[in-house]
Amino acid sequence: MKRSIFTFTRSVLAAAAVGTAMMAMPALAQNTIKIGMITDKVGVAKAYAEPVAAGVSFAVKELNAKGGILGRQVELLVEDDQAKPDVSATVARKLVDAGAVFLLSVSLTPATQQAQSVTKESKTPHMTPSNSGDTLTTQVDNPNFWQTGPLGSTQIATLLSYAKNKNYKRVAIVGENSDLGQLTTRFFKAGLEKAGIEIVAEEIVPGGATTADPQMQKVRAANPDAMFMTGITTGPNLLILRSYRQLGLKTPVLANYNMSVPVYMTAAKGLIDGIVFVDAFDPAKPATMRFVEAYKKDTGVEPYNLIGYGYDGMMMVADAITRAGSTDKEKIRATMQATKSYKGVMGSADSAYGFADGKRTGFDTNGMVVRVYEGDKQGKVVHVGSK
Amino acid sequence: MNDFLELVVGALASGCIYGLAALSYLLITRPTGVINFAVGEWSMLGAFGGFLLLTQLGLPYAAGMAVTLACMFAVGWLTERLTVRPLVERGAPPLAPILALLGMLVVFREIVSVAVGPDPQPMPPAFGFGRLELGLLAGSYQSFFIIAVALSVFAAVWFFFERTLAGKSFEAVAIDRRAAALMGINLGRVTALAFAASGVVAGLAGLLVAPNVSAHYLMGLPLAIQGFTALVIGGVGRVEGALLGGIILAFVEQLTVRYAPVPPGLAMGVPLVLLILFLLVRPTGLLRAKEARA
Repeated sequence: MKRSIFTFTRSVLAAAAVGTAMMAMPALAQNTIKIGMITDKVGVAKAYAEPVAAGVSFAVKELNAKGGILGRQVELLVEDDQAKPDVSATVARKLVDAGAVFLLSVSLTPATQQAQSVTKESKTPHMTPSNSGDTLTTQVDNPNFWQTGPLGSTQIATLLSYAKNKNYKRVAIVGENSDLGQLTTRFFKAGLEKAGIEIVAEEIVPGGATTADPQMQKVRAANPDAMFMTGITTGPNLLILRSYRQLGLKTPVLANYNMSVPVYMTAAKGLIDGIVFVDAFDPAKPATMRFVEAYKKDTGVEPYNLIGYGYDGMMMVADAITRAGSTDKEKIRATMQATKSYKGVMGSADSAYGFADGKRTGFDTNGMVVRVYEGDKQGKVVHVGSK
Repeated sequence: MNDFLELVVGALASGCIYGLAALSYLLITRPTGVINFAVGEWSMLGAFGGFLLLTQLGLPYAAGMAVTLACMFAVGWLTERLTVRPLVERGAPPLAPILALLGMLVVFREIVSVAVGPDPQPMPPAFGFGRLELGLLAGSYQSFFIIAVALSVFAAVWFFFERTLAGKSFEAVAIDRRAAALMGINLGRVTALAFAASGVVAGLAGLLVAPNVSAHYLMGLPLAIQGFTALVIGGVGRVEGALLGGIILAFVEQLTVRYAPVPPGLAMGVPLVLLILFLLVRPTGLLRAKEARA
């Protein structure tokens, strides 16, 4: 009898211990600061979303190693939107319902646009650290949304600043038909027209094409002073470069920031020597060098610009929450909007992120750099800024 | 004129790729009635096979191609055995294998995207990066290589169907499955071989086009659409129709972009208009399938 009472008591105590532990688990989870990240793991933006997301994850790891934010650990909730706008809005709602105090969109521009419908309604702070479409902060009046990727208009302004002394009068634009590709073409055209430069050929190489010969023949026939590449997907850009070389064109090529992604050094071997491209990554900048070393030490892999975008985005979120002193969404919104002179790993040595009054685009318009491919390697910075 | 002749070589090469994708559809559709939309993904597997064996391992070109195509034979064979045959044996409706193959499309694509990553991977051209001029005709070495290989394949497949007994058994199954079975033709073997041959042809299309477009996990879908369009244009029942449809599609695509006075964005829609026109006006395609003799 004594034995059974003892067994019963022990069982009750064990059950109580398990129950207490289970009750404590949500309490522990509640004590973290939840940041939601919407990324593309299977769709067309995967190639770009993956490295940016890796930068966000690395920043969270670094933050937690240093004690987190406001003394609380950061919990990164990740959802896959497959680069689909409707799915992006759905997972944004899921993340808000799960208690995320801030959302990061690391996906395709239209998907990020759609997710804003949720963050506007739920008044949840929301940022994209890498999207560059100029219209993301202007099409939806969402005071809870910010963009820190370099805009298309900044890219063309920087390239034109670099080419000022080249005196280009007649140029060609060659792009592709993705959403962001078309948007970039639009803003490159606007920048060129504003500078009084005539566009003598405008060509589009669609995704899935097997050659860009017809388009490049038209460029060759137009005989422009320079050719601007606006495509942001690698496949069509590779076709353009192959046809450019194959058809013997010698026109100088100036490319948008997609050409700064290192994949071209392997996928376009022998095709990129002399290509001028705009970048937001200066490997000689001290803050960038420190980031490269830390990332390499942690992962064994050398980081590149896309990883830096994600890292900067997450660190800016942490900075805003720290300045807000709480996880109250309205306070975080106010401190993020008040961000001025935030120095990150991206941008030229003197550049800083900040949001001017009434603006929610944070990348320094004078903070991009121009580099030139030397053989199959990305060369040093040859020009800084858009002035 | 020089531009036009240069374009002829490029369009012929693209047309041969579309034709091979169309042939890959046809090899399965003709004897089984199943449309395999995963042929684009098979091409993608062929391209990555080339990347692995030629770029990574540095095998000689012929050996790398042979091993890749042997693997694609196995992929086609196994796809039929593991996904299509169980459904047919259980009496599933005709739509079931098509949906199962659509599912396989996603499986193939995601396996590659996880295993290799999302970035495009380079593949060397068979004879290097260079330009060949044959009189007024000019194009890349790879364009001429694509044309030569594709024409050889089409000639071989045509010969197989038209001049060999084994080929006749495929044609018999295509005309009347039940009668063919009653004549002692092994339907299971014909179906499995059709899938295997389709895998080889799709893999070859991927191998040939990869030096131009790079091996990429999303490269399959456009090829599947272009191949299907070529099939509709040329006709679902004839080997030569697949090639004809591919070449017509490529010429329309490239000549429109080069010469038609339409904005660049609209030129891309012209092949789709062509597809709709053929479906409306001549749904059997340019070349009709052979009918059973009375």
